[in-house]
Amino acid sequence: MGAKKNDILQGTLALLVLKTLSSGRRMHGYAITAHIQSVSDQLLRVEEGSLYPALHRMEQDGWVRAEWGKTEKNREARFYSLTAKGRKQLMQEEESWARLTEGVARVIRYA
Amino acid sequence: MAWYRRFWNVLRPGRMQSDLQRELSFHVAERAEELQDGGMSEEEAVRTARRQFGNYTAQVERTRDMDIYGWLESFVRNLRHAARGLGKTPAFTATVVLTLALGIGANSAVFSAIYAVLLRPLPFPESDQLVKLAQSHPKIPQPFVAPVRLEEWNRLNNTFQAITGHYTEDASELSGELPEKLKLALVAPRFLQVWGIAPALGRDFSPQEERFGGPNAVLISDRLWRRRFGGNPDAVGKTLRIGRLAYPIIGVMPASFLFPDRDVDLWSPSPMDAPYAQSRESTWFTAIGRLKPGVTLAQARANLASVQANLGREYPKTDAMIGAMIEPLKEATVGGVRRSLLILFGSVSLLLLIACTNIAALLLSRAAAREHEISVRFSLGASRASVVAQLLTEVLVVSLAGAALGLMVAAGASRVFRSLAKDLPRIEEIGLDWRIVLYALACAIAATLLCGIFPAIRGSRRNLAGSLAQAGRWQVSRYNRVQFALVGVQVALAVTLLAGAGLLLRSFQELGRVSPGFDPEHVLTFHISSSWGETADQKAARQRVDRILDGLRSVPGIESAANALSLPGVPAQYQIELKTTEGRAESEPKMLAQGRWVTPAYFATIRIPVVAGELCRDESNTNTTMVNRSFANAYLAGSAAIGRHLVQPANAYLPPGEIRGIVGDARETGLDREPPPTVYWCAGSNQPGTYFLVRTHGEPRSMAETIRRKIHELEPRRSVYDLTPLRDHISDAYAENRLRTILLTFFAMTAVSLACVGVHGTLSYLVNLRQREVALRLALGAVRTQVVRQFLAQGLRVSVLGCMAGVVLAVALGRLLSGMLYGVSTSDTATLGGVVAIVLAVSAFASLLPAMRAARLEPMQLLREE
Repeated sequence: MGAKKNDILQGTLALLVLKTLSSGRRMHGYAITAHIQSVSDQLLRVEEGSLYPALHRMEQDGWVRAEWGKTEKNREARFYSLTAKGRKQLMQEEESWARLTEGVARVIRYA
Repeated sequence: MAWYRRFWNVLRPGRMQSDLQRELSFHVAERAEELQDGGMSEEEAVRTARRQFGNYTAQVERTRDMDIYGWLESFVRNLRHAARGLGKTPAFTATVVLTLALGIGANSAVFSAIYAVLLRPLPFPESDQLVKLAQSHPKIPQPFVAPVRLEEWNRLNNTFQAITGHYTEDASELSGELPEKLKLALVAPRFLQVWGIAPALGRDFSPQEERFGGPNAVLISDRLWRRRFGGNPDAVGKTLRIGRLAYPIIGVMPASFLFPDRDVDLWSPSPMDAPYAQSRESTWFTAIGRLKPGVTLAQARANLASVQANLGREYPKTDAMIGAMIEPLKEATVGGVRRSLLILFGSVSLLLLIACTNIAALLLSRAAAREHEISVRFSLGASRASVVAQLLTEVLVVSLAGAALGLMVAAGASRVFRSLAKDLPRIEEIGLDWRIVLYALACAIAATLLCGIFPAIRGSRRNLAGSLAQAGRWQVSRYNRVQFALVGVQVALAVTLLAGAGLLLRSFQELGRVSPGFDPEHVLTFHISSSWGETADQKAARQRVDRILDGLRSVPGIESAANALSLPGVPAQYQIELKTTEGRAESEPKMLAQGRWVTPAYFATIRIPVVAGELCRDESNTNTTMVNRSFANAYLAGSAAIGRHLVQPANAYLPPGEIRGIVGDARETGLDREPPPTVYWCAGSNQPGTYFLVRTHGEPRSMAETIRRKIHELEPRRSVYDLTPLRDHISDAYAENRLRTILLTFFAMTAVSLACVGVHGTLSYLVNLRQREVALRLALGAVRTQVVRQFLAQGLRVSVLGCMAGVVLAVALGRLLSGMLYGVSTSDTATLGGVVAIVLAVSAFASLLPAMRAARLEPMQLLREE
């Protein structure tokens, strides 16, 4: 993969996916990558190879729900949406992310 | 991941995969379209999308790896590997499978007996509410309850749903061509209510039928119904002729109903209001009660104790000294064999442990031989977990094969069980069912972990495997210390088992050497049917018995004939307290003795000598007795006893009996017990179940037909049954003892052979490993005997240490056998010494073979191979 684009830090993919789905819309995997890329202004790039295993794991943990549906272009796709459990998980992940970035910022500033 | 989801995925692996593929290809299609929008050609767009997506198949696999399907796949792969690996070493595989089959089979067989006899509830609804009741008296053992008292207990308590009782007698059923002996249970009211069992066909007794003088009625067993009526429902309403009376059949009991015991074929009410049932002193009912739900044993005991205390105040003469005893029915039924069964279970568990240890040692050798293979797998990137998993899978395969074979062994073994211990309670309930299969499976898994985990972890040490891959050929592995420790453990456990078996065998031998004081050879015993009702006319009954005995004596080939209430040498206790009418000083000990009822010819028939005085005579007007030497010496200063009169205070009906003579001591209450002081009342017994004994000139069995014909001539309405030599009765009485001894001996022999296989295998392995070293030494001039001695010493050292540990263990566990032994102590030096000698001799032989092989190595040939 290109070195110009930031590969997503391990462990944050779940956070990004959950956050993306938190708008309440049902999205398929491709839309999720596209959304993350566009919102992050092309700074973040989701590697497809990690996305689908992650989505399946989240589904099996009960954070997201998946169902088959049709896109606007009438293609078959698997749509994901957030569950209540996933919403709770998102809150936790956001909090721990905030702590992590704050910690890292402090180290950079003072060390 | 939730297990059910995994499970679901396993059930539909194809669906899961195609879903995933559809999803991923959608993604690629979307991406390609986007690229095409950006100006790429369609073909190029698809290719780029594919490339960007990375390894497509790997994605599918990574996602799929999350579910059990992938895990299962690797399990199957391991299984395939294991099967292939095991197939390559058939000798190893066969040894391990057979060892485990034996271990698991023996264990499952004994477990099936324990489960059926000890663990499973009795085959009645809410069977934990069932209890056995008995009267207790400080002086006289009374296993039975008087009918009046039974009714009072039932009426006055408030902790029982109901109390009932039963007794049995043998009946002659006369509606067939020949009189047939059937066992009849006479039951108190509420009998079926207490058991909670309804007849399979027909109805329960009506209140009229339970009253004295009411209509007759009988329930028959499933067995009799099938045998006599071919299982035809019309049997209900037909009539059986029992003795002089006709009994209409009112129903058939289910096949599983085997109470009071498995021989009973008829159940009929015993009227509680009969005139003969009104005495507070004669007891004959075995009482069974059903507790109310939630009532504890302690509450019931307290309640019945106060009921009986009230009766004691009301009838001080008869009831003041009497108490009530309550015991759970299951305990009363199987309590006696618990210890035997648990000891057997302990020994088969030791056996399984030895088998596992043995296999662990074998596996260690195998792992050592496979170091190269394992290190190759490591270098190809296998994880340690996957190597361990593969090694364990191999053990699992052999364990499961062993368990399957073991179940066959267990099926055969439960048949052996039945034939060896016919009298074991609930033996008909022993059998293989899914629980035993589960148990065998659990054994297999436990065995896998026990034998496999240690060698697997040892064998998969990365650094060890790696280093040995280069240097292994010249290095003696450190495995063998562990292996020898395992062999030592096997020897120790084998010694323990063999010591237990040795003690039982020795005590069996001692028992055979005992001189019983009577001669059980050439004596045939049998019963002649009669009923309790006939005992009402004592005179007629007595004449009948005399007529039968006289008739028997006239038969050529019969030396003498007698009758007795109980058999000599078959354990039974009937302790009574006696007084003499001449009086004795208060300071002298209480006269406690075994009471036996015999005709005078009894002494000649079983050859108990009269040592003083004269033989008693069976006279109808006076009562005479004989006492044995112990009684005379203990209570009446030897021969001064003759002429004194004995009375039994607890039995007011019995006139004083004059002591006519003294007979030799005989072990009448069991061969393993010293002869107790005994009083013989010289009066024939005419109760149902009385034994007839005849001494024959030749083989006792050959007289059976003659006797049968003679009795039929004398008493055509009666059946003769249970014609058995006295010798067989005595050995049957020790059947449980014999079962225990045979099984434990068998287990111990197996254990010793396994331990020897262990010694032999480990030493052979060591010889293999060190053959180059030995060859080198031989080439440099070592003497061959030295080499033999070295390996032999190594084998013997382990055996000696194992024996020492085993002896310590045997002495510690010997306590468990106390009470089952006769004539040997639990730490009998001769037995222990013998066991150690046997084990050492056998293990020396087992070590000698590999040691000789080492000495026969051809040094030049081996070294040239290098």
